[in-house]
Amino acid sequence: MKDQASFSELYDLTDSELENLISMACPKSVDFADIYLEYSQSESWSLEDGIVKSGSSNIDGGVGIRSIVGERTGFAYSNSFDYEDLSKAAAMAKSIAKQGTEEKKKIQSIIGYKKLYESESPIDSMSESIKVSFLKKIDKYVRSKDNRVEQVIVNIAASHTSMMVVNSDGLKASDLRPLVRFNIMVILKKGERRERGNSGGGGRISYKEILNDDFGIKHADEALRQANVNLDAVEAKAGMMTVVLGPGWPGVLLHEAIGHGLEGDFNRKKTSAFSGLIGEQVASSQCTIVDDGTIEKRRGSLSIDDEGCITENTMLIEKGILKGYMQDKLNAKLMKTNPTGNGRRESYAHLPMPRMTNTFMLPGEYDQSEIISSVDKGIFAVNFSGGQVDITNGQFVFSASEAYIIERGKVTTPIKGMTLIGNGPEILKKVSMVGNDLKLDDGVGTCGKDGQSVPVGVGQPSLKIDEITVGGTEI
Amino acid sequence: MNNLSDRSRDVKLRIDKYINDFKSKNIDLQFNVSISDGFTVNCRSKELENIEYHNDVALGVTVYNNQKKGTASTNNLSDTSIITTINKAIDISKNTQEDQCHGIANENCIQEASEDLGIYYPVNMNIDEVIDMTRECEISAFDSDKRIINSEGSSFSTSNNENMIINSNGTFGHYRSSDHSLSCIVIAQDKSSMERDYWYTSARDFQKLESPDAVGKKAAKRATSRLGAKAISTRSCPVIFSPEMSTSIIGNFLTAISGPAIYKKASFLLDSIGKSIFPDYISLKEEPLIKGGSGSRPFDSDGVITKNKTIINDGILETYLLDTYSSRKLNQKCTGNGVLTNIVIESKNEYPQDILKTMGNGILISEMMGSGANTLTGDYSRGAFGYLIENGKIIAPVTEITVASNLKDMLKNIICIGNDFDHRGNIRTGSILIDNISIGGKS
Repeated sequence: MKDQASFSELYDLTDSELENLISMACPKSVDFADIYLEYSQSESWSLEDGIVKSGSSNIDGGVGIRSIVGERTGFAYSNSFDYEDLSKAAAMAKSIAKQGTEEKKKIQSIIGYKKLYESESPIDSMSESIKVSFLKKIDKYVRSKDNRVEQVIVNIAASHTSMMVVNSDGLKASDLRPLVRFNIMVILKKGERRERGNSGGGGRISYKEILNDDFGIKHADEALRQANVNLDAVEAKAGMMTVVLGPGWPGVLLHEAIGHGLEGDFNRKKTSAFSGLIGEQVASSQCTIVDDGTIEKRRGSLSIDDEGCITENTMLIEKGILKGYMQDKLNAKLMKTNPTGNGRRESYAHLPMPRMTNTFMLPGEYDQSEIISSVDKGIFAVNFSGGQVDITNGQFVFSASEAYIIERGKVTTPIKGMTLIGNGPEILKKVSMVGNDLKLDDGVGTCGKDGQSVPVGVGQPSLKIDEITVGGTEI
Repeated sequence: MNNLSDRSRDVKLRIDKYINDFKSKNIDLQFNVSISDGFTVNCRSKELENIEYHNDVALGVTVYNNQKKGTASTNNLSDTSIITTINKAIDISKNTQEDQCHGIANENCIQEASEDLGIYYPVNMNIDEVIDMTRECEISAFDSDKRIINSEGSSFSTSNNENMIINSNGTFGHYRSSDHSLSCIVIAQDKSSMERDYWYTSARDFQKLESPDAVGKKAAKRATSRLGAKAISTRSCPVIFSPEMSTSIIGNFLTAISGPAIYKKASFLLDSIGKSIFPDYISLKEEPLIKGGSGSRPFDSDGVITKNKTIINDGILETYLLDTYSSRKLNQKCTGNGVLTNIVIESKNEYPQDILKTMGNGILISEMMGSGANTLTGDYSRGAFGYLIENGKIIAPVTEITVASNLKDMLKNIICIGNDFDHRGNIRTGSILIDNISIGGKS
């Protein structure tokens, strides 16, 4: 399994058998068919209450076959790689179409591409005992730093996925994808009050890059710092306010406020608040936003997407003007445009659809300090726990996990329980200052759509939104 | 064991053998197996859009090796794969640390296939009839109101499931279940706005589903009722949470009293047994064996038999929800809550027919967004969509509002429960009227 080309050998499926299967799934009455093979190993280790309590390991593999006719898709999958089982799945997938005569399909081109990450499995790159002692070390460090620590939960997780896709256009492509992640949660207690802080990071890298003291201690310190800030946080005041967002993870704003609304499927179906707006001003002229799946080693990056398309750096919004959507093959074809390498699926048991990779805003000209000092009264939001959007009316929400009041250009008291709610197409027009401090998130984001989860990245420079509705308990 | 499928019977025989093999090595094993198959049909723009056939298998093994634990799972039931999985779990258990609370459950464990819970209604469906029914659902939505101009489609889904637990203590549990659901998401548009909303019906028994026509019409009504939503001013007022939203609030409460939240000290309800959490006329019960219930289950994930229990009695918290591990950790009796089954809210007061009238003036919340429910502190702050209510009547839809309070106060400030119970999910409640909620608005 070291070499991507050996994937089919692993399952005794020859190219000629794959050709037979694709021919079965794509008779003349079917426009397009593909076969997605996947084998994935994952593991996780967790420490709580001071001990490494459990670890888990998972192996999942299977094959998804789909047949497309116009806007219709037939889909079936099998958790075995057995030729007979796959023939049955191909027959089920093509049942979406009328009977048609079979046509012999050939694998014609093997997609070559630049690899954005190592092929090796992170799981085997380190011994179990090193993983376990790392967790213990971090726990010990946190507890030694603050005697108000009530709980420390540390997790590490890694996965290694081999995928291969073969389609009726004759394409064959495969990829090996590593993914690792480190998370820490700390609960501090002061009097009767308990508050938490979280931190973490990861990417398509090896364990070496996260299971080291520098990395672990950096995130442990960050979790402690956040919990500490939250111990002193006061109730947030509700109403319209000026909000400054910090760099990095707050880019989840872009992901929710516009990212989802620019996915091809919603726009083909005209159910997005951004449908039909290409060429129009949808954000302030300071906003340039891209979806870039090509950054090395990032959590949201892919050398090729799950349909075998090479990923791209796609311009979504340039100086406020809507330039393009993110596309998979089906939606690109129906909208008479090109795929952008955004066809992704959770696994072989799910259908691909247009999904984001790493979505972020390019830097502007201001220092963060200039932005903050321009605000007389407002909020500085540094960290968020997550967000959600209704792509039809454009309404999005996201919840702050670390935020402060700004008074006369100075950051003052921390606040808790703050939610931002706004309308995507409206709010981006209110971005009046963009910072020069672009930062991508640390690599722990997961995006959910139609019940499918995929790893993604977000990012942004500091920025100022002139007014947005803030939720809180104080009236 | 009568209703075991041939596939499960075969897996069970093999698992029994593995368990025996490891007994001599003093290694305890527990297997949780689930097998399901079914299909989903989506229709959009009055046409078939896709058919997805599902067949899923999951085998999880938990190993207890001298109080050290390891788990592993696979989606392949071949001998080679199961043995690899067991060995993986054992490897992991060699590296984790000893914990006296680990180990297989040893009280009230299931020994046999259990009584009929009325949750298994397999049906052989003709795919063309299913497609027609799914199309009809969306067509009803389009036909019921001309402002329905677009749709994300209607979707019918069916699955047959089989669950099994087998462990070294001789526990054996097995049950079959089925799930059927029909949903519809439509988009309404007028001059100024575009809004989506949905409706769904779900049941163990296909015959108990709402009609496709009713589902389509409700989806359409919900979407059109959102058109022309306006912004409102920031205020503090009474709020009615629709049954679906109330379910999520009760869900937050249940998370806060779950064993893991308590032993990790990650809950706003630590040391709360015997304390008054809800108003004294409200009780909350768990009823695992409701015939046809969406949460009905004979045993939990550790094989412990599920039992009726009172969680809140006249407002007072009687018990935490403990699985085997957390019960040992907290030195309390296990409550069979390695799973949460059906939860039913009860009120000694009247369930008002028209809860809008009971409230008079305030806001009705029909949708909430974002992850702003913090069960460590109780802080509650979420984005919402709803309706402005004056004199018991809906005046206008309202958008871009936030709902904020603290879960502790929200539960205490419940004024009444409506009679509009939602029986689709495992938490059964009507609308909940709560006083004194902070609403953030645009002015």
